[in-house]
Amino acid sequence: MTAAKTYESDWAFEARLRRRIRNLILFSVALLISLLFFFPVYLMFSSSFKSEGEIFAIPMHWIPHEFQGFRQYEFAFESTRLERWYINSLVIAAVQTIATVFFGALAGYGFAKFRFPARNILFLFILSIMTVPFQILVIPMFVLVHQLGWHNTYQGLIMPGLISAFGVFMMRQFAYSVPDELLDAARIDGASEFSIFRRIVMPMLKPAAASLAIITFLFSWNSFLWPLVVAQNRDLVTLPVGLTYFSQSLDREPLWAVAMAVSTMATIPVILLFVFFQRYFIEGMMVSGIKG
Amino acid sequence: MGLVQRRQYYGLLFVAPAVIFFAIFFLYPIVIGFGLSLTDFTLLKPPVWVGLQNYQDLLNDRLFLKSLNVTIGFVLGSTVPVWFISLAMAVLFFQRFPGRELMKVLFFTPLLPSVVVVSVVWKLLLHPSGILSSVIGPIVGQMPIKWLFDLQLSPIMSVVVHDWHIAPFYMIIWLSGLTAIPPELRDAARVDGANALQSFLRVELPLLKPTAVFVAAISTIRAFQGFSIQFVLSPSQGGPLEVNTTLGIVIWKYGFQFFRMGDAAAISVVLFAFILIFTLFQLRLGRSDDFSLN
Repeated sequence: MTAAKTYESDWAFEARLRRRIRNLILFSVALLISLLFFFPVYLMFSSSFKSEGEIFAIPMHWIPHEFQGFRQYEFAFESTRLERWYINSLVIAAVQTIATVFFGALAGYGFAKFRFPARNILFLFILSIMTVPFQILVIPMFVLVHQLGWHNTYQGLIMPGLISAFGVFMMRQFAYSVPDELLDAARIDGASEFSIFRRIVMPMLKPAAASLAIITFLFSWNSFLWPLVVAQNRDLVTLPVGLTYFSQSLDREPLWAVAMAVSTMATIPVILLFVFFQRYFIEGMMVSGIKG
Repeated sequence: MGLVQRRQYYGLLFVAPAVIFFAIFFLYPIVIGFGLSLTDFTLLKPPVWVGLQNYQDLLNDRLFLKSLNVTIGFVLGSTVPVWFISLAMAVLFFQRFPGRELMKVLFFTPLLPSVVVVSVVWKLLLHPSGILSSVIGPIVGQMPIKWLFDLQLSPIMSVVVHDWHIAPFYMIIWLSGLTAIPPELRDAARVDGANALQSFLRVELPLLKPTAVFVAAISTIRAFQGFSIQFVLSPSQGGPLEVNTTLGIVIWKYGFQFFRMGDAAAISVVLFAFILIFTLFQLRLGRSDDFSLN
């Protein structure tokens, strides 16, 4: 009896030990890799509070010894047109996000709930757009914008990304789930088609619209190639393009602490979106995988 | 025409803004893109028709051929490791262990900064006096290491930065694939005596095939578009000695530095052909159900 009891507790002890060891190994491996991936982001943040002389200190200072407070941030605003870049990026991202969500929902609902002539061919057209990356369109798009006289204008910066095919595609998928009975009931009550869209369909598409809004904002906020080629005017520079001025000064060593301050500032809106809307953020990234 | 039938025409009204927009900002550029590739055009004078001459010239264009090499190297060099790393991380984060959620967030952080920010931060990390040089230099007995100026190292660094930035993205795609596998299947394999590795190879990996194809195709398609990392990270927008000059950078150079729009358009068409092959591959083998019409 006693022998059997000891045997059983030995067995339980061993199982617990094995689980602990397994947890410890998984924990250590995951911690090591996660810290490796997190390190550059941490370095960006911590360097933005260092003095220029401390940037290349060996061994590296994990925490700034000569803590600068927000001096490098202030210097970035004083020495460049950072404020302007920030506003430009925000305005462009805001306009493109609102337009993409609104027109995406409108067209997505149209494709999902109505059977009109040429519907399938028009939708195939939208789908085909998603297979063509912007890289390939940049030359003819520039020529088009040039023909329109929009070179170096906000229209030129904003218009090519005003509506996204992916937005239409994504909203169509979600618009299917709006119950037809609800739409028909509203029609019987005499609601106009557009007010049905505004009062019934839009509210039901809200979660999908949130995900679409987040990834559209990110896409626009991070876009580099188009602003680089279409806006040479110093008043129209966006944040990513402005940031390259810091890293590509040919004649002298870049001011790294300032560059890290600007980098941190460019990342803060994204971090806020991630922290406060994590679910929509991840969902948006997942579905956007389809876009390529 | 009945009321119900007439109502269907509202659909046309709803899709009209998007369709008209894409006719102007997609269809038209596509058409003039193909057209321009058959001309010499500098923006200043009207295009001059040259037929297929631009394409023929590409066959002997040193910079184009070099960039084709660079791009294929970047595609192969970046997609294969990122496929394995992201899968391994997904499998790791699929397990239960203490602190998992916090570490997942830490692992996810590289995805938050934009590609330009990522490149600028790595430019600091890879600076000859930077942290990576001072840590790894003494080990390999070479100080300083000029990561970005070395002809062999520099393209590898583009791959490292790219994979570091994008691995978390593919990790969440793998993770959603793993989550979709019914737990009963895994349990059944374990009951039948399979160990963790066998159950992974025999049960989970075959069920992950659509995700595997998807990640492979999407990462290939994206790597073909490589531009921003090489543009910002390298010392001279694609250097040193053009070892980081991808097709994307050549299109930019021909178009906006040399103003040879015809040649730039022809290279765009070639790049499109490459990407189309992998898009068709993905549509055929992968999640083609996502693109059904009904």
